[in-house]
Amino acid sequence: MSIDAGEFLQASVRTATPLAFAAYGELVAERSGVINLGLEGAMIAGAFGALVGAGAGGVGAGFAAAALAGCAAAAVMALVVLWLRADAVIAGTAVTLLALGLTGTLYRALYGAQGAALSVPTIAPAAVPGLSHLPLIGRALFEQPMMTYLLYVVAALLGWWMARTHAGLALRATGERPVAAFAAGISPVRVRAWALLFGGAMGGLAGGVLVLAQVGTFAEGMSAGRGFIAIAIVVLGRWSALGVAGAALLFGAASQLQYVFQSLGWPVPYQLFLALPYVLTLLVLAGTQRRAAAPAALGTALTEDAR
Amino acid sequence: MLTIRRLVTRFFIFNIAVGILAACSPAKDTSNSSADADGFTVALLTPGPISDQSWNGGAYEGLLRIRDSLGARVSHIQTKTPAEFEENFRQYGASGYSLVFGHGFEFQDAAARVGPAFPKTVFITTGGTRTSANVAAMSFAFEQPSYLAGIIAASVSKSGIIGCIGGTELPPVKSGFAAFTQGVHALNPKARVVTAYLGNWDDAGAGKEQALAQIARGVDVIYQNADAAGLGIFQAAKESQGVHIIGSNSDQNHVAPTVTLGSVVINLPNAFMSIAREVKSGAFIPRVHVFDTRSGVMKWVLNSSMKTVVPPRVLQMVDSVEHHMLDGTFVPPWPARIPEDE
Repeated sequence: MSIDAGEFLQASVRTATPLAFAAYGELVAERSGVINLGLEGAMIAGAFGALVGAGAGGVGAGFAAAALAGCAAAAVMALVVLWLRADAVIAGTAVTLLALGLTGTLYRALYGAQGAALSVPTIAPAAVPGLSHLPLIGRALFEQPMMTYLLYVVAALLGWWMARTHAGLALRATGERPVAAFAAGISPVRVRAWALLFGGAMGGLAGGVLVLAQVGTFAEGMSAGRGFIAIAIVVLGRWSALGVAGAALLFGAASQLQYVFQSLGWPVPYQLFLALPYVLTLLVLAGTQRRAAAPAALGTALTEDAR
Repeated sequence: MLTIRRLVTRFFIFNIAVGILAACSPAKDTSNSSADADGFTVALLTPGPISDQSWNGGAYEGLLRIRDSLGARVSHIQTKTPAEFEENFRQYGASGYSLVFGHGFEFQDAAARVGPAFPKTVFITTGGTRTSANVAAMSFAFEQPSYLAGIIAASVSKSGIIGCIGGTELPPVKSGFAAFTQGVHALNPKARVVTAYLGNWDDAGAGKEQALAQIARGVDVIYQNADAAGLGIFQAAKESQGVHIIGSNSDQNHVAPTVTLGSVVINLPNAFMSIAREVKSGAFIPRVHVFDTRSGVMKWVLNSSMKTVVPPRVLQMVDSVEHHMLDGTFVPPWPARIPEDE
């Protein structure tokens, strides 16, 4: 009945991986000024895309299809919010509901009421030689599925790109003062559209990780709120690439703690354990409350003088 | 500035969106919802997706059997939130349906409220205890096959630590786990049983992680009752060494044949058929219909490829206990049945 710390950390990173994929997608969208509540929809669309793609062409095709499906969900969002100028909160909610319903219906149409069972190929963890033998953090960071390593690269590149490149500056400018960005020759509509599409692709990959690197099957509604948790992770991470990594890890670890506590068989109502990750997140959020770091134009529609 | 072009496009897109939503709303996927007065019409509300190969899938199979054997016109809706239960019952009542199933004990309050308004419709909840003139409940004796599953689990476990994982803590789930635990202790009084709940029935990822957490603590047999989320539990066992799963609600032995010892099966189609026949013939009496092993609805089904894994004397023991359950000479000391009307 002992708890192996290395194993616990490994499981925490595993749980954090899909959350972090989605959160980095949302980070880019929010830095451009759009809150994408359609992220949950992108994730379930990605999970379904992964199932179909992997069935047709293996794991690689599965991830490609996951990203595309997430993109498609985000494209609807971009179309409605940026072109038809609908309210982003309502549009995002609609996209999520639409994706949850559509994937369920397509799943039954393609796989019948019996479902796909556990027929989906999965990718196993691949240990990095040498590094995976580091004490404590070795297995946690370097004995994970390939997609987790891809995530490290994406996170690092994203942090550098947002801070150091011209395009990254355009993204941030659009999220802070779209009018000023427009005056500087940037098209805020275009920037937000690309940011949403990137966010959708990342949300889709998050769904792909769930199916192809973890569960090995699709279940209707299996995203189970992870898209919304990812949005909270962006806030918790104070809209920075490093902060998002920390927040995702914290939430992953808190979830794992919940699983471990329940598996110890203590006579405590399980609802308390289930609430643990959320309580912990709230506490950290309250404890780290410093000056607001949100993009100034976050959640505001583009005015006429910015398009 | 809204140009005419933009207005037209907006209208166009709105219509497409409404069309898509209508086409993919999970409701009414089997037949048109307007029921004619003479025909036998049956509706089913499930709390989760019918592709879970478990609780909801079995009910849907029952609905299709009613359609094929009794010539009923059928309709199915997957409810999303408890707030919709009553609304969906009303829809079917107002369309003159003969029989409406609310699939789960959580539907009983809504059925009791809606029943009096539609006296021509019979409302049945699977689980629960509420009855009135046209409202009744089905109750499944999960305890009997769960007890047998417990004996099997204890005989296969090498560590003596056995896990139960449920979706949420519904009374039928709890009673099943309690009887399972008794079965475990009947064979191995020193065995430990740990129980965990996922808090939902869809999150297959959480199912897998909870199973892995139990396995890391030494659990080597898991009795799962988590519907679609349970698929992740099977996956966890497939990826671990020497871990076995017991399925529930439907025969799940084919889900992961290499790790599944057997399933605690509710023959939901049989139960649904027996109620539907009664309603169709006009002989319906509102009561709590209890289905157990003796009615042929509850059954422990061993995965035939596991016959070599379970010791032969235990297989004999299980057969004999089951036999005595069937002729009523063996009633194990169940923990007091958890009331279902809370």
